[in-house]
Amino acid sequence: MDFEAVIGLEIHVELNCPTKLFCDCPNRPGDEPNLNTCPTCLWLPGAQPRLSQAALEKAALVCLALDAELQPLSAFDQKVYYYPDLPKGYQLSQAHQPLARGGGIELTAESGSPRMLRIHHIHMEEDVARLVHEMEGRRPISLVDFNRAGAPLVEIVTEPDFRSPREAMEFVKALRTRIRYAGASDCSLETGTLRVDANISVRPRGSAEMNTKVEIKNMNSIRHVGDAIAHEIERQVAAVQTGETVVLHTRLWDPEKKATVPMRAKFAGPCVPDPSVPAIELTADWRALMRARLPEMPAARAGRLATQHGLTADESQALSADPEIAGYFEALVGGDVAPRPAMHWLLTQLLPALKERRLELGASPVAPHRLAGLLRMLARDEINANAAREVLIEMFSTGDAPEVIVAARGYQQVSDPNALEALIDQALAANPAAVADVRNGQGKAMGFLIGQVMQASGGKANPKIIRDQLNRKIDAAG
Amino acid sequence: MDSIFLHSNPDPAPAGDGPLRGLKVALQPNLAAAGWPAGAGSRALAGYLAPEDATIVRRLRQAGAMLPGYTRMSEFGWGLQGSEAGRALREHAADAELVLDLAGESRVAAARAGACGFKPSYGLVSRFGLIGLMPSLEVCGVLAGTPAKIRGILQAVAGQDEHDFSMADEPVPDFAPPKTKARRPSLGIVTEALDLMSGEQAQAFRDLQGSLARSGFIVREVSCPDFPLFALVHRIIGSVEASSSTGRYDSVRYGPRAPGARNWNEMYLQSRGAAFGPLLKRLLFQGAFFQFERYEAYENACRIRARLLAAMQRLSAQADVLALPAGDGEPGGNPATPADIWAGFSPTLFANVTGQPALILPPAPDGARPAIQLAAARLQDARLLAAGEELLDAFQGDS
Repeated sequence: MDFEAVIGLEIHVELNCPTKLFCDCPNRPGDEPNLNTCPTCLWLPGAQPRLSQAALEKAALVCLALDAELQPLSAFDQKVYYYPDLPKGYQLSQAHQPLARGGGIELTAESGSPRMLRIHHIHMEEDVARLVHEMEGRRPISLVDFNRAGAPLVEIVTEPDFRSPREAMEFVKALRTRIRYAGASDCSLETGTLRVDANISVRPRGSAEMNTKVEIKNMNSIRHVGDAIAHEIERQVAAVQTGETVVLHTRLWDPEKKATVPMRAKFAGPCVPDPSVPAIELTADWRALMRARLPEMPAARAGRLATQHGLTADESQALSADPEIAGYFEALVGGDVAPRPAMHWLLTQLLPALKERRLELGASPVAPHRLAGLLRMLARDEINANAAREVLIEMFSTGDAPEVIVAARGYQQVSDPNALEALIDQALAANPAAVADVRNGQGKAMGFLIGQVMQASGGKANPKIIRDQLNRKIDAAG
Repeated sequence: MDSIFLHSNPDPAPAGDGPLRGLKVALQPNLAAAGWPAGAGSRALAGYLAPEDATIVRRLRQAGAMLPGYTRMSEFGWGLQGSEAGRALREHAADAELVLDLAGESRVAAARAGACGFKPSYGLVSRFGLIGLMPSLEVCGVLAGTPAKIRGILQAVAGQDEHDFSMADEPVPDFAPPKTKARRPSLGIVTEALDLMSGEQAQAFRDLQGSLARSGFIVREVSCPDFPLFALVHRIIGSVEASSSTGRYDSVRYGPRAPGARNWNEMYLQSRGAAFGPLLKRLLFQGAFFQFERYEAYENACRIRARLLAAMQRLSAQADVLALPAGDGEPGGNPATPADIWAGFSPTLFANVTGQPALILPPAPDGARPAIQLAAARLQDARLLAAGEELLDAFQGDS
């Protein structure tokens, strides 16, 4: 029998607000354990939550970036369960009245036709503490770090619209790009500021039934999302074919074993309205203000880059996939660099060099105005492309301005034909066989001669001038 | 006999010099006072020292009140078993007491102590630093000899608090003493509340009703046929909220841990099991039942609550203040059951469910006149206290 998968995603995004959701503690989970805590996020007796305005605004931007509709009235509920990572026995979350409903992302299906993947709702909630289980000698000990407790999260719950691992991966990529554009989170699966859980069930293709689903967690890269879903679909199809019953539960993805392993029965605790956090009323004016504050989204930016700079759709989309990259590109162009060299140097030189050094573009030691300076020198023929690559490498290590490096290293390109004449004559005299090959129309030999002159010039000669001069002299001699 | 105070403040002198200068206000150990053992009457909080002042406590200190200490209270303030609310007043160790009112405790304790007991409107006083149990029902009540003293305390502690976002952004009633004497308030007797009383108690209340009419008060009967539903709504919502709010007492960050557990999970379960007394456990079991097994009953209770709120608002439009019997609270003796508490406090529960203010005036010292409970619409607290004063004046005139 032919099966199809029914997949829905639950995506947690940690907002990059300066403080936690209900108190003024710094939102820095990675600090020394339990440094960023107060009576409220430890939920000491008598504590009262105070909803962060900044978190509400960032959450609203996430909703708008995903085309979800902000609800005029939303409220927090207590999601009750008992676990040491939850300092008050319930998590404040929006179960009954979420911040936004609807929305979604339209992707291009493998067939090439557009495919809408819908969002059911988006709600705010607080993160829980981090548990560390260690050994103290031979005694097992459990430690709780409350730095993360109360960190602001939004959870995006999709409709079960996904049918393949690819759709899930593409959706997560597009969602990540949009949220980064909104400036609300860095959305890193690796560090856990983006967490993707998938609910998966299988059914005979063409059937409309919804079978028992299994939740999978612990995928910390986009590739793991795809691998884990693909594996879980296979596992369930095999189970159904052997007559096994699928039960509702949660499984963890083990990237080493490339398999999901059972974790626990899926949690479904009660949610009761919370009387301590007032309901959130979003006026039409406030919603309009947030819409006005939403930065340009990736599709709009790609369209703009294509028209403004004459790029193809693929090129402009590649540049727009990350707001940092698009911003860097626009800074280069703003620094009088032609669009195509700007794109080329950014995508093929700067980004690989950063990746090699495990750096993000935002932390690049080469600022856009410095790279623009280098590329302007290249465009004016003051240096050649080889020298420019050398200078870029040196800019990484020294942080110096390109002009300084070019002057210090003597990378200035020699374009004066008179200054090159002696070197060219020398090369012609020393390589009569190659000259003969050129006359016989062998292009390779020309390259060889250019290389000889370049070497003799210490790499500074302008290759275009060398070629022109070589051609002139060989033609004149013949 | 035990000392009056569970914890005596070694330094009761006020920091500020304000309108409450010299007034001694006793607190319950569920209101945080920096450095005091705020145990809230529960083993779950044994040894817990409050890290900072509750907003109410800070405002009392600023107004010049003296804080002699913490009195003994029932576990998390629910019911009056184990509570000594009113004793500090009776024994002249305090001029006023703050007592959490979840079901009517502050009002009933006042009547028992021969004092006035006032439950303010919900949202009028800050909850910051209050170790609560039923967050949407409870409010810090005030026991004092006269409505004027209560008014002074409310003037000092009521109003917006940047630490408590749950307080609505609404005007605070003016608690300044009325300058001119208003006309005598009209009283609306809630007849269904009388049905909850024994024949003898109902008759005593009828007699009081007659004497008030003779004293020049306009007395009319008003009806809320759903009045018996208050107990049901309180029971479901109160137990569910209690179940949620006590989830934090997990012995991880404070509180005693059960010894001998082999791992954190066992420690967690055993500590929670050992932390609470039998009465509270029964309440929590009920709450967990509604939360996990009968959620629709909880939703229905929330809907009925909205209906009851509207019904009481309609009654408030029919008279200046509502008048009801006071009730006795749960019967003395051990052990009380949750059902005893809802039955014993049945005439006072309504104000916790609706969030409206209520005031109990004590019975005559010779028992010739029963206690009476007055209530007004939400935020009519000042008018309610003024009406209470008028009634007390009239009683004085009678005797």
